[in-house]
Amino acid sequence: MNPQLFPIVLSFGVATAAMVMVTPIGTGIAWVQARVPHPLRRAVDVLVLLPIVLPPTVIGFLLVVLFGRQGIFGSQLEAILGVRLIFTPWAAVIASTVAALPVMVKAAQPAFEAIPRELEDVGRSLGLSPIAVFFRVSLPAARRGLLAGMVLAFARAMGEFGGTLMFAGNKPGQTNTMPLELFAAYQAGDDARAFLYVAILVGFAVLVAIAAGRLTPKEGT
Amino acid sequence: MSARSFTRGKGFLAAAAIALAFTACKPSASEDAAAPMPETTVAAATSLRNVLPALIARYGVAGKISVTYGASGDLRKQVEGGAPIDLVLFASRKPVEALGEKGLTDGEAVRIATNRLVLIGPANAKPLTFKTLDTIPAGDHLAIGDPGAVPAGDYAKQALQKLGSWDALQDRIVFGGDVAGVLAYARRGEVAGAIVYKTETQGIADIVVLDEASDEYAPTAEVIGAATRGGTSLAGGKAFLVWLATPDAQKILADAGFGPR
Repeated sequence: MNPQLFPIVLSFGVATAAMVMVTPIGTGIAWVQARVPHPLRRAVDVLVLLPIVLPPTVIGFLLVVLFGRQGIFGSQLEAILGVRLIFTPWAAVIASTVAALPVMVKAAQPAFEAIPRELEDVGRSLGLSPIAVFFRVSLPAARRGLLAGMVLAFARAMGEFGGTLMFAGNKPGQTNTMPLELFAAYQAGDDARAFLYVAILVGFAVLVAIAAGRLTPKEGT
Repeated sequence: MSARSFTRGKGFLAAAAIALAFTACKPSASEDAAAPMPETTVAAATSLRNVLPALIARYGVAGKISVTYGASGDLRKQVEGGAPIDLVLFASRKPVEALGEKGLTDGEAVRIATNRLVLIGPANAKPLTFKTLDTIPAGDHLAIGDPGAVPAGDYAKQALQKLGSWDALQDRIVFGGDVAGVLAYARRGEVAGAIVYKTETQGIADIVVLDEASDEYAPTAEVIGAATRGGTSLAGGKAFLVWLATPDAQKILADAGFGPR
């Protein structure tokens, strides 16, 4: 593939894979946090927020320490399954997933909390199982918030840089996503190449902002 | 209602804290302005980070020298962008010449020292030489600096091209953002080998030097300095550059593993 085109395709691929991981996990966490009273509620709230608050280098460091070839899990993965994550596109997917998960949860949780409990109670009184209530009542009612969360999570995954650079590395043709390629182009003084990715990333961000704005419920409605 | 006023209270506290932080900064800023001797600011290649503090300590001339480290290509862009730098010390002639072409340097570019490429591996590395790099198995990696920005990576690329293994190694090469990043990959055992400067390996326990590059295929790695106009103390930058060529400074560079200039 054309070396200038590859980072674009890779970035969309990595962001899509990250969104596929983040959507069910994020929706699950958000629903539990919104509807199930449990003793770890505050702890989970804090934990979910961490990737937004922490410097990306902390995330990258922890990913390498945990999933690198000498890492606690990384060494086991390699010994048992023969899988190496570091310097692969999957490492970029994992870094992006960690970065995007809080965005999904923070959009989905208020959407679930905003559903009138009576709605779910009616479902239950009509004989629906808790799982059926979730899929037939809660999920449809929260769909706008969930979609907004997915769009924002996709965008956040696309913008992942620090964790990706440390954990996935810059391996041309494998892990050089648009943000990495932009940084490499900047370092090399190749402004024309840098502007190409700047233009794409800015254009995409504008689309995301418009989409998220339309999906987020207006105040008072 | 009480919840809302509580949030407002928090916001006010945060604003107060930020305001306090700014006020606290002010006195030190005015002190700097009152200092008689302007500070000399040096932009230096990451590969000099272990030796430059010793050089500056030995230099010990009135007026302070502060240093910003980075990949030479990165620093070059910062100087072009107007960063207030009095002296650049880069790991290659190219970025210095690029600044010269834009009229940003003052006076001649000076070769301060030379360096040598070595092939290193993690402590438990299998034997490997520059000439057998293409035996690195698929799925394993060789780390080098990004040739576009990191001179060590550019030198490594030239050596691999001359050895004829550059193309074959494409699927096994991972780029580091500077020499320190490349070294970190080797220290953590994430790669089979890494190409860095000889000066990076001194006193580091968790790596082994597998091979030293020969002049047959490896270009001479140079450390090049030039005074730049963008800073506040051009004279300070020039004086330090002149001193770096003296026997005193050269002795410190040699002790750190650098070659003669």
